[in-house]
This record gives sequence, structure tokens and C-alpha cells, in this order.
Amino acid sequence: MSATLEIRGMCKSFGGIVVADSIDLDLMAGRVLGLIGPNGAGKTSLFNLVCGVVKPDAGSVSLDGRSLEALPTYERARMGLARTWQNLRLFPSLSVMDNLMLGPRAYSADSLMDVFFRPSQIRAHEAEARDRALDILERTGLSPIAHSRVQDISFGQQKLVGVARALMNEARCLLLDEPMAGVEGQTYALIQKAVRDIAASGVAICVVEHNVAFIRDLCDEGVFMFAGKVLARGSVEQLINDPHLTELYFGT
Amino acid sequence: MDYVFTILILIGLFVILASSFDLVIGHCGLISIAHPIFYAIGAYISAMLSKQYGLPVPVSILCGGVGALLASALVAVPALRVSGDYLLIASIGFQLGLIELAKHFHEIGGAGGLTNIPSFLIKDFGRESYVVLVLVLAALTVLFIRWLTQGPYGRMMTAMRDDELAFSMLGRNAIWVKVAVFAIGSGIAGIAGGLYAHYFRFLEPDQFGLLQSSAVLTMVVVGGMRTTMGPVIGAIVLQLMPQVITFFNLPPSILGPLQGLLFTGLVLFFMFVRPQGLLPAADLWVGRKQQGDAGQSAKEARS
Repeated sequence: MSATLEIRGMCKSFGGIVVADSIDLDLMAGRVLGLIGPNGAGKTSLFNLVCGVVKPDAGSVSLDGRSLEALPTYERARMGLARTWQNLRLFPSLSVMDNLMLGPRAYSADSLMDVFFRPSQIRAHEAEARDRALDILERTGLSPIAHSRVQDISFGQQKLVGVARALMNEARCLLLDEPMAGVEGQTYALIQKAVRDIAASGVAICVVEHNVAFIRDLCDEGVFMFAGKVLARGSVEQLINDPHLTELYFGT
Repeated sequence: MDYVFTILILIGLFVILASSFDLVIGHCGLISIAHPIFYAIGAYISAMLSKQYGLPVPVSILCGGVGALLASALVAVPALRVSGDYLLIASIGFQLGLIELAKHFHEIGGAGGLTNIPSFLIKDFGRESYVVLVLVLAALTVLFIRWLTQGPYGRMMTAMRDDELAFSMLGRNAIWVKVAVFAIGSGIAGIAGGLYAHYFRFLEPDQFGLLQSSAVLTMVVVGGMRTTMGPVIGAIVLQLMPQVITFFNLPPSILGPLQGLLFTGLVLFFMFVRPQGLLPAADLWVGRKQQGDAGQSAKEARS
């Protein structure tokens, strides 16, 4: 089976700080990969490199066999790459619903020609996106707050909105950056279920997370990163119980 | 009566300018204050096309709008590819540079100004008809911008203003949205320029400088950014206020500086006391109802 997302020889350094040192990584369809490592290991940087937010010094990324290197961020998203952000990055001037409405790969108003000359097409597009958004909101338990401002809802719900917004893409590959940080209780269970469902539908998922229980429950496999390098790949249990890695993680 | 007509026409033109400027700086969050240069481009193109080449005035006004639209895209594309901040510098440079160029370009009147621009008065209807034309176009501009900003395109502009990176990561092309909105706003300003040229029939480069930039900016800030009626109210208030003091029969040596003081004072007052303007914008973007909403309510009723 070929990988959905293929990272080859990814290198990046900022001045003297190496955030990616020849990283090779495959994400497989329907599998959840956990990225584990201490702060500063280069986990979020790897996401930024994959998304085209940061340009690599060397290396390549491809999605479903198609190279992403030459593409700007928005075109990578249109090919089916979606992500959430550690610091949420929701749109505070929009309601939860409207945050989701912007998420489809093809947005109703992407073309100005359509806006001016094909109003019926815009309406059909909007109605379709709205139905999909309602569906996702229902699945993630966010329906009751669909029309709230994002700053009026709890932090956990905001995290969930971030995931829900990424789901609008119907992505082939989903990158989740610390979806559980600061989340507990019912929302925790909801996010967990959402991630399981997405994986079951054949999406390749990569999760950066410090919550070991979450990683253990959810991930099929783990990767341990340190100082921009992939040090080990294996089952999560294996990685957690490796005394050498634990030492690196806690810095003791 | 001519005095009143002239004021009404100026109000109408500044409503168009302020509203289209609010589209650029308020709704889309693009920092540029060079809006009057696109007004100037529209005015000069329209004036020259009708004067030199005998084009019918309505056609030349439209050409002026298109010219302003294209010129603004030329400025915006390279500037916005680097970063949003460069637009401010690039556009001011473009504005001041073009004004200097126009001053030395005698074919368009040079520093002395372009005179004898064909007028666009319909003979039997007189000046009233031009007042009506300008006010109707001003109303249409306001309605058009409202329509654009409350539709799906407005949702995009709002999101992009909030967080450009997250916006791009959803598959939206931020640079294209910025260039498009900048061009639309500037094109509207260009049409206003044509309307100005064929009424006053005289253009000089200096009137489109930074002073006018600050006037239009003041109208938007005082009226209220990102609101439909804010720029309208701002344009009316700031057009009428300087007129009021002309009634005091002050000598011109005092009148000019006093009007400047009034403008500056208003900006300072609003910045400290009411930064949101006379009409504050809502915190939450709410689009207009679409037909798709019917499906929404049906679905929500089920859940």
C-alpha cells in the first residue's frame, strides 16, 4: 500500500537551530500517527513545512503521489490537506457556522465571476456547504452553538470548532496540532470519537499531542522526534516504555 | 442654487469615495491611503478621452473606471505578493509619483491643470439632472458594497482580515481576494473621478494628494468603518462642516488653516473618544439571508 502523504528528506533550519533534519515520514490512509517529543523537537515545524507555511531548505512532500513543493498553502489545502492549529486560529468575527462555511476545498465565492454572474450557482454551493456544516456540527455536538461567536464558547468547544472546520475539507490527510491541550471531560470524548470516525473513513491522520493517554488510545503508531530528527518509530507503548526516549522527553 | 447643487454633487462623490475606500481598508483590511489617486486616474482618463478623442462622456467615464481598476491591480499585485504592509508604501509612492509626473506632463495640462473638459449636462434638464445622476450612483455604490460584503465574498474578506494564515490553510487564495477587492474599490473611485471631471471641468494634479487621502480616511473613521451607512454619514458631515464656517465671512488666510484644523481636530477627537466612529460596526459578521437558509431551518428543525 502506498502512503497518502510522503515526506522525504525534509530539512529546515532557522539560523543555527535545526527544526527538521532529513525527515522521512509516511502517513497511511485510515491510520493515525502520533508525533511525540519534547517542546522544540520540531513537531509543529514539520506541520508548517508540509502545509507550505514555511519553505524547506531541502526535501519533498507529496499527497496521493502528487508533489506539493511548488504549490502555495491554499492549493495544498484544495488538494485535500487540512490541519488544525495549536493556538486555534479561528475567525473571531465569524460565528461557529461561518467558520465552517469557509472550509470546503471549493468555496462558493472563490470565483468573482460566479459572485457577479452566477448567483444561482453560488446559492446552490452555499446550501450544499451549509448542509455539510450542519452535519459536522451535529456529529461533533456543536449544533446548539452553531450561531455563537467563537469567543463566547468554551476553550474545549473552540478546539472542537477547529477540528470541525478542518473536516469541511473532506481531506485526504489531516494534521492535528495538540487537539487535546486544555481539553477535558465530554469534549475530550467528542474529539476522540471525531478523530476515530475520520480515520475510519480512510483519511491519513497525524497528531501532535502531549497527552499520553490520548495518544495511546488513538494512535496506531507513534514517532518520536527530538531536535528535528525522527529518533524512533513503533507502537506507542513501545515508545513510551523506552527509557532512553523518556529521558530525552523529560530531559532528566 | 448652483452652490447647493455643487455641494450635493460633492457629497455624492465623497459618498462613493468613502464607501469604496471602506471596502478596501475596512472590510478587507488593506492598509492603503492612496484612494484619491485612482479617483484622479479615472478623472484624467475620462477627461482626456472625451476632450481629445471625442468619446461620448458616459463611455469615457466607464473607461476611466476600468483604467483605475487596472492601474490599482498593477500596484497591488507586486506589493501584495511580498506582504500586506508593502501596499501602503507602494500605493503612496504610486500616488505621489504619479502626481509629480502629471505636473510635468503638458499634454494633460501639467501643474496648471486640465481645462475645458467637456461637460455632461443634458441641456433641457440642467444641473439638477446631474445632481440626481450623482446621487443615484452614490446610492447604487452603497447598495453594491453592502451586497458584496454581506454575501459569501464578505465572509471571505472578514475571515481573511481575522487570520490570513488560517484562511489560506482552508484553501482560500488571500492574495487574489486582496487584489480583487483593491481593484474593485479603486475602479469605483475611478468612476467617481470621471463624474467629477465632467461637472467641474477642471482638474489639477495637486488636488488628489495626501490632503484628500486624509479627508477620505477621516470620513470613513468618523462615520464608522465596516458599516453600510458609516462612510455615508462621514462624507456628509465632513463635506458640510467646512461649508458651515465659510458663512462666517472669514478672510481666506484664516479660512484655509481653520478648515485644516477642523479636520485634524475631528480625527484626534474620534481617535480618543470614539475610535469606532459614529456608527460602530457589529462584532459578528452576519450575512444576508440566502435561499439556502430554507434548507438550514428544515434541517435544524429535525435535529
